[in-house]
Amino acid sequence: MVHTLYLKRLGLVSLAFASLAACSSPSIDSSNGDLQGKIILTGSSTVAPLASELGKRFEEDHPHVRVDVQTGGSSRGLADARSGQADIGMMSRDLAIDETDVTAYAVAKDGVAIVIHADNPITELSPEKIVEIYKGDVTQWETVGGNDTPISVVNKAEGRSTLEVFLKHFDLKNSEIKAQIIIGDNEQGIKTITGNPDAIGYVSIGAAENSIARGEPLKLLPLEGIEPSTASVQDSSFPLSRTLNFVTSGEPETLSKAFIDFAQSSEVHNIVEQQNFVPIDFSK
Amino acid sequence: MASKIFSQSSSKTWPDFLLLGATWTTAISITVIFLWVVLSIVGQGLGQLSLEFLLTEPMNAGRDGGIAPMLISTLLILVVCLAVALPLGLGTALLLAEFSVSDKRFGQWVRRSLDFLAGVPSIVFGLFGSVFFSKILGLGFSLLSGGLTLACMVLPLLIRATEEGLRSQPASYRQGAAALGLSKTTTLFKVLLPAALPGLMVGLVLSVGRALAETAALIFTSGYVDRFPASLLDSGRALSIHIFDLSMNVPGGDHNAAASALVLLALLLILNGLAAFISLRWSTKIK
Repeated sequence: MVHTLYLKRLGLVSLAFASLAACSSPSIDSSNGDLQGKIILTGSSTVAPLASELGKRFEEDHPHVRVDVQTGGSSRGLADARSGQADIGMMSRDLAIDETDVTAYAVAKDGVAIVIHADNPITELSPEKIVEIYKGDVTQWETVGGNDTPISVVNKAEGRSTLEVFLKHFDLKNSEIKAQIIIGDNEQGIKTITGNPDAIGYVSIGAAENSIARGEPLKLLPLEGIEPSTASVQDSSFPLSRTLNFVTSGEPETLSKAFIDFAQSSEVHNIVEQQNFVPIDFSK
Repeated sequence: MASKIFSQSSSKTWPDFLLLGATWTTAISITVIFLWVVLSIVGQGLGQLSLEFLLTEPMNAGRDGGIAPMLISTLLILVVCLAVALPLGLGTALLLAEFSVSDKRFGQWVRRSLDFLAGVPSIVFGLFGSVFFSKILGLGFSLLSGGLTLACMVLPLLIRATEEGLRSQPASYRQGAAALGLSKTTTLFKVLLPAALPGLMVGLVLSVGRALAETAALIFTSGYVDRFPASLLDSGRALSIHIFDLSMNVPGGDHNAAASALVLLALLLILNGLAAFISLRWSTKIK
């Protein structure tokens, strides 16, 4: 008797577990077309705040969906998308020619500008001079028409997409660069340069514009005669820019596809701008 | 003896003055540095702090809104960490201090491993947690995975402090208990543990401090999601990661980063005060 009662209870418990599992497993409820489940994004720390905000807006429209955003850098985003650890990888650079096993979906653009302290009298540097400064051939501001002070070169850490964009544009190798300071995220770069009148670095234009608007002593240098601004990045006239991408391995699932479509739609342009990036208009 | 030398001003020679000066300088500079850190955090963060800040969700990548989900996630991670680390730590410390006398070599090996673990950088624990708890055990990005990783990290601290507390009890306590015919268990719970409580509390306070301050071990385990966790299997952003992200990754997040840092500091002081209070109450009650 006791035995059958025990078995009955066990059956009930396992039934409860089964129904729990059915609730939590990512699936599409096709009966009313409402999306359900969880999307995991990992990758670029630059894209992560934007993806979080996009996720929150998406969750408002689809209450049964959870969008979990994790960071770790573009390389991790690519690796996790490949391994299936993440549904969508986030990358703050374009795919390389040999990275054909994944598909990239552009969600925003971001310009990279050469920045110096606002008190520095320099107003423009030619690409050749920038290369000489970063290679350590020019070590004094005086040589390029500035103050009689040594230059503090700020470079990005290995693996950062901004570094790759910078190196590619100026045709440099990271091993050739002689930097005094190595930094990680954009904000850290801005803080390093606003705290040192002799520093030179390169950061995201959107983040730099935001800092200048808040009164931080930062100056953006024009590149090849073109003013760095969100406008010149938008019309692609500014030469140093990168694309912020979502990447998936193979064809994305229905849920991921819906989120990617949402992230590329014009209704999220205000979110993109709010996070200091440049929206891409796909209707053109 | 030492205080007698310092108080007799007539017998002071120049080395005494030098030593006195050096002692005062170090003591004052430590206090100044502490006050500097606290005052700069309070100065920057106090203006942003309000009840609303503690009770609302973050908006616009944390620039606006509050930190309620981070507070909940941080506390849940801490609960998981201590729930695992306390019993394990206490058990290992007891084994090392009370029961490993007959097997000295084993005790030495455990101690050596612990000292080694205590020196391992937290990012290594983070990578280990990310591989072991998140991938191999399938916990994914979750509070559970983060809490377990932190438990691994604070165990050495907790064990060594508790062990020292137990070891510092004079052998006469154990001999007295044996002479009274008390069993080993009774001796342990009635005599040794209450006496070693201050040591355990030191370990606990250090562990809580290290756990609350941790970012590197948590970013790949408990993760970055800044929403209210629905269960321990959900990802949740710890307060320290929120501060790091706001100050280093989100332009215009500085004011909320300072306010969050102030909350973290207050949380640490409250938890330490609580530990001291419980320890005091417990030891007086047992006596």
